[in-house]
Amino acid sequence: MVWLIPEGKLTPFITLILMWIITLISIYYGKKGKFSVRRIPGLDKIEEAVGRAVEMGRPIFDIIGMGSFTSIYAPQTVAGLSVLGYVSKLCAEKGAKLIAPQAAVDVMPVAVEIVRQSYAEAGKLDELDVDEQLPYLSGTQFAWASGIIGMAARLKPAANVMVGPFWAESMMFAETFARVGAYQVAGTARLYQLPFFAAVADYVLIGEEIFAADAYLTKDPIKIGSLFSQDVYKLVAIVLSVIGALLSTAGVKIIVDLLKK
Amino acid sequence: MYKREIPLLITFLSGVVAVLEYYFPTDATKNAFTVLKNWGIIIGAFALGFGAVNLFIVYGRRIRKAPSIVDRAFSAWLLFLLVVVAAVGVALTSASDQYRWIYNSIYLPLGATMYASLCFYMTAGAYKVLRARTLDSTLLLITAFLVILGNTPLSAAIWRGFFTWRMWIFDVIVSGAYRGIRIGVGIGSIVLGIRTLLGMETGYLGRR
Repeated sequence: MVWLIPEGKLTPFITLILMWIITLISIYYGKKGKFSVRRIPGLDKIEEAVGRAVEMGRPIFDIIGMGSFTSIYAPQTVAGLSVLGYVSKLCAEKGAKLIAPQAAVDVMPVAVEIVRQSYAEAGKLDELDVDEQLPYLSGTQFAWASGIIGMAARLKPAANVMVGPFWAESMMFAETFARVGAYQVAGTARLYQLPFFAAVADYVLIGEEIFAADAYLTKDPIKIGSLFSQDVYKLVAIVLSVIGALLSTAGVKIIVDLLKK
Repeated sequence: MYKREIPLLITFLSGVVAVLEYYFPTDATKNAFTVLKNWGIIIGAFALGFGAVNLFIVYGRRIRKAPSIVDRAFSAWLLFLLVVVAAVGVALTSASDQYRWIYNSIYLPLGATMYASLCFYMTAGAYKVLRARTLDSTLLLITAFLVILGNTPLSAAIWRGFFTWRMWIFDVIVSGAYRGIRIGVGIGSIVLGIRTLLGMETGYLGRR
């Protein structure tokens, strides 16, 4: 089978197989409760944000971005949905009004199902108005952005949680919600939007932290186990980067050549 | 079973086909992946109706119940335009002059206006951040000042060093930080993908 792999994809394929094996081993040890996860303040503060919405009697927004399941940003959308599940669960339990505007038609039914499930588990399905609380605004970037900006200005939410893929609209959202006095937790793995969130939001989830959200919030030992494998890969990446930089400086291209195979 | 096991099986098989198509691009894997992508397009088209139905429910309700006449008028206007654009697109196709007029004369200027307003949001955000209150924020302020000078043609004309400094900040400091985050994001995406294919990440199924 290996001879079928085109040039340049052999090393990534072997790396992927190794990553599967290491992740499975990590999950095995995770099941035994061998690992713990470090504190992620941004995720801890979500509960505080919901509490603030309850105290102030104002809604809380949860925006998962306009990514779809069929783009390369799908992992970020999945992470955003995990956070939406947590936020909706807290909202249903504590009695905060959740508003989660939607932009992607393939993601919307899933978001609706997640929120419906949370309210059903809390026995408060009758308090959920799906059409009003999870409205479809637009699949077009700035129509969606202006819709959310308008809602924020009218409803003056107490808090805003934004986790998912965001583009130019990120700064519009962050600044508008800050202007209406909303407490903000924002996270994305889109690098160019991170500075905007860091500038305006109260707490920021940087890059990979959003992928850890589900494991962190559910405290599922299996998922926490898989997070450990992430740290192993990062360590390998750091070691390879340092050795590769030193060898390249010395004129030896062995690691560069290996990665190109 | 049909709510959990079958969707998980479909996810696993779809993921395996996608991975095989990438690493073993034979006719069989390419055809299988093309079929999957076509299914995705068809399902996406059906889902579009879901969004339209939601718009009709929400804004239809507002037309009936909104206390303000202005709210009712805007809601009616939205639904009217939704129907007009859809009707023109279906009846005359999106390549017709009429559809292109709607796109070029209404949609594009509105989108460009929103995009242009971004500079005010960015200025307001920068004003909040660029204050020398702590050591970190002071360093950020100095760096931002140098980058602004490097981006301004007049500054670079006065002394070319501003441009060189800006390049160094981008090529060394910013690139280094971005690459670190990018590696973390890539690894996080792969592990989330593995969890999804193994059926451990079920958030996308609509239940936790």
